[in-house]
Amino acid sequence: MTTYAQRPTVTANGSMPTPKGKSFVKWITSTDHKTIGYMYLITSFAWFLIGGVLALVLRAELARPGMQFLSNEQYNQIFTMHGTIMLLMFATPLFVGFANVIMPLQIGAADVAFPRLNMFSYWLFLFGGLMTFAGFLSPGGAASFGWTAYAPLSNSEYSPGIGGDLWLIGLAISGVGTILGGVNFITTIFTMRAPGMTMFRMSIFSWNVLLTSILVLLAFPPLAAAFLGLEADRLYGSHLFDPANGGAMLWQHLFWFFGHPEVYILALPFFGIVTEILPVFSRKPIFGYLGLIAATIAIAALSVSVWAHHMFASGQVLLPFFSFMTFLIGVPTGVKFFNWIGTMWRGHVTFETPMLWVMGFLVTFLFGGLTGIILASPPLDFAVSASYFVVAHFHYVLFGTVVFSMFAGFYFWWPKMTGRMLNERLGKIHFWTLFVGFHLTFLIQHWLGIKGFPRRYADYLPGDGFTFMNTVSTIGSFLLALSMIPFAINIWITRKAPLVGVDDPWGYGSSLEWATSCPPPRHNFLSMPRISSERPAFDLHHPHVKIEGKH
Amino acid sequence: MPRWAGIQTILTSMPRSFRSRLRALFIFLPVLLLTSCSSGTDWGFPEGVSSVNDASLSLWQGAWIAAGVVGVITLILILWPAVFHRGKKDGPEFPKQTQYNVPVEIAYTIIPFIIVAVLFFYTIERQNIITEKTDTYAHEITVEGFQWSWQFGYPEAGPNAVVTGTPTQPPTLVVPLGERVRYTITSNDVVHGFWIPAFMIQMQNLPGVTNELEFTAKKLGEFPGRCNILCGRNHSQMLFTVRVVTPEEYDAYLETIKGGQA
Repeated sequence: MTTYAQRPTVTANGSMPTPKGKSFVKWITSTDHKTIGYMYLITSFAWFLIGGVLALVLRAELARPGMQFLSNEQYNQIFTMHGTIMLLMFATPLFVGFANVIMPLQIGAADVAFPRLNMFSYWLFLFGGLMTFAGFLSPGGAASFGWTAYAPLSNSEYSPGIGGDLWLIGLAISGVGTILGGVNFITTIFTMRAPGMTMFRMSIFSWNVLLTSILVLLAFPPLAAAFLGLEADRLYGSHLFDPANGGAMLWQHLFWFFGHPEVYILALPFFGIVTEILPVFSRKPIFGYLGLIAATIAIAALSVSVWAHHMFASGQVLLPFFSFMTFLIGVPTGVKFFNWIGTMWRGHVTFETPMLWVMGFLVTFLFGGLTGIILASPPLDFAVSASYFVVAHFHYVLFGTVVFSMFAGFYFWWPKMTGRMLNERLGKIHFWTLFVGFHLTFLIQHWLGIKGFPRRYADYLPGDGFTFMNTVSTIGSFLLALSMIPFAINIWITRKAPLVGVDDPWGYGSSLEWATSCPPPRHNFLSMPRISSERPAFDLHHPHVKIEGKH
Repeated sequence: MPRWAGIQTILTSMPRSFRSRLRALFIFLPVLLLTSCSSGTDWGFPEGVSSVNDASLSLWQGAWIAAGVVGVITLILILWPAVFHRGKKDGPEFPKQTQYNVPVEIAYTIIPFIIVAVLFFYTIERQNIITEKTDTYAHEITVEGFQWSWQFGYPEAGPNAVVTGTPTQPPTLVVPLGERVRYTITSNDVVHGFWIPAFMIQMQNLPGVTNELEFTAKKLGEFPGRCNILCGRNHSQMLFTVRVVTPEEYDAYLETIKGGQA
C-alpha cells in the first residue's frame, strides 16, 4: 500500500480574490477560443494605436521642409517601427483574432483543435512584439533599417546596436506564434466542422481563414529562417547575407518571398469579413459563391509567384514572368469585386454601420487595385517605384482592406462578442471622419511620388515643390487620427447598453454564428441547427425564402 | 436616422423622373471628380526628356486611361445598388434570392483577362526598348552609390575623371544631349537606388553586383535625381542633379575633369 504525504492546506489570510483579479486570471489562463480571440483583438488594436501615433509623428515632421523635432536617425527608427507594427503586430494578429473568435462559430466547432497551443501562440505574439518594440529603450534606439531590413544595411557593420537584434528575434518569436496559429486553424477547419458543414457549405470568411493559414505556412518559415540567418550574421559573424556572396539579392528574394504572400495574408481574411457582411445587408446570398472560392484559391496560389515585382528595379529579376503573374492576379481580384457587386445587385440594400464600412472598403480598395495594375508594368514601375506613389498605393490596398474591414467587423460582430450593439450614429460619424481623413492623407501622395518624392525621406528642400502636398497629407492624417475619438466614445457609452437578447440582431445573418446566443456559451452551441446550405442561420430564421438560380 | 429621413422626404416629394436624375447625379459626381483628377497636359511627367520617357509616357497614359475606364465603370456598379436598390431597414420584403448567373460570371472572368493581356503586350514592347543593351552607345558613365552620396565616373576621360559628392554638396551628373549613354551602376556599401524621376527611370545600386542601363537624354536642362532605397541615416540627403548639355559642352566638360574633380 502506498502512502501519500498529506497535502498541506493553505488558508487565505486577509486578501480575498477580487472580481477584477478573478477575471484577469480567468482571461490569462483561458483556453476558450473566444477569450483568446478577444485578447488578440485588443492587443493588436493597441498596436494599431501605437503604430498610428508613430505615423502622426512622421507626418508632423514632414509637414514642412527642414527637420523640426526629430533627427534623421529617429525618423528612420520611427518609420521602421511604424511599418513593422502595422504589418506584423497589428494586421497579422488581427487576422488571428478575428479567425479565433469567428471561425469556430462559423463551422460549428466547440473550440479550436489545439486550445492550449492557441494561448501559447498569443504569448509568443505578445512578448515577441514587446521585445521588438523594446528597441526604443536600448541605447542605440530601435531598428532603423526599414521593415524590409535590406541587407547589408541591416548587418552589424551598418546597423550596430541591440535594437536591430531585438527586432529580428522579437519578430522571429512572434512569427512562430503566427505559424502555430496557422497550424491550429487548418486543423480546426479540416477536422472539427459540425455535421452537415461540408467544405462547400462553409462561409467565405472561414474559407479565407483556411487559405490564409496555408499561406502563413508557406511564407512565415522562410521569413523566420531569413531573420535567424541575419541574426547569425550579426552575432556570430556568418556570411549568409554578405554582398560578396550575392547576399544583397538573396535577402531581397527571401524577404519578398515572405513579403508578398504576407500582403494576401493581410488581405484575404478581411475580404472574408466584407463577404460576410454584404449578404446580410442585401438580404441575398453571396453572388457566385463557388466562383468566389475559386478566385480566392487562385489569388492564394498566384500570390507565391509574384514576389519579385517588389524588385523590378534591382535589374536582377526576370521581368516578363513576374510582371505577367502580377497582372494575372488582378483577374481573380476583379472577379471578387463582381461577386460583391452581384451580391448587392437587386438586393434590399440597407446601410447599417457595418455596411457603410464595407462601401468604404470597396471604394478605397478599388483605387488601390488600379494603381497596383499600373505598378505591375515594369516600365511604369521604373518611373515611380520606391516613391510616395508606392506608399500611397499600399496604404490604399492595406489600410483600405485591413482597417475598413476591421471596423466593419467590429460593428458587425460587436453584438455577437459582447451581447450589446454599438451606437449607429457615432458609428457613422466615425466612418465619415476616417474616410475623409484617409483620402485626404493618401490620395495626394500619388502625386508626391510622381513628382519625385522618394519614400523613407526624413526631409525635402523648400525648392522641391513637395511642401504643399505634404502639408495637405499631414492635415489629413490628423483628421484620420481624430476619428478614433467617436469610436472610443462609442465603446464607452454602449458598455451598459441593453443586451440584444436574440441570436441575430441584424435579422438576416447567414452563417452559423448567428444561430447561437450573443455572446455564445462557453462551448458555442446549445443545439446545432440543420446545416443544408452555406447559410444555415438564414435557413433557420427564414425557412420560407428559397434560393434561385442554383447550379 | 433623421438625416436620411429628411432626404427621403425631399426625394419622395419630387416627381419621379427628377428623383432618379438626382440620384444619377449623386453617382456621377465622384466619377467626374475622378476623371478630372487624371486629366492635364503632362500626366505628371514632362514630355520628351529621355529615351525611357519616350517609351514609357504613352504606356503610362494608356494604362491610366484603361484604369480610369475600368475604375469608373466599377465605381458606378458599386454605387448603383447602393442608391437604386436601397431598401427600408424595417421593410419585411425579400428580394429574389439569385445566387448564380453563369454567363455573367464567365464574362467578368474573361474581360479582366483580356484587359491585362493587352496591358502586358504593351508592357513587354516598351520594356524591351528600355532594357535594351547595345554595342553602339556613344558614352560610358559609372554611377557608384555610397553612404551618403554619389560618385560619377567618366572613363572616356581617363581613370581620374570622377566627380564625388557629399551629403551637403550633392554632385552633378553631366550627360550629353541626344547621345546614348551606358550607365554602370554599382555600390560600395549598402543598397542604393539611382532614380531620375523626370526621366522615368531608376535602378538599384547593389553591392557585389554590376547593373547596366542605357538611355539617351533628350532635353537640355537640369533635373533632380534622388536615392530611393533606404541606405541609412542620411538617406534623404543622397541627392544629385542631372545636367543635360550639348555634345560639344560635354566634350569640354570631360576635358575639365581629366585630372580629377573640377
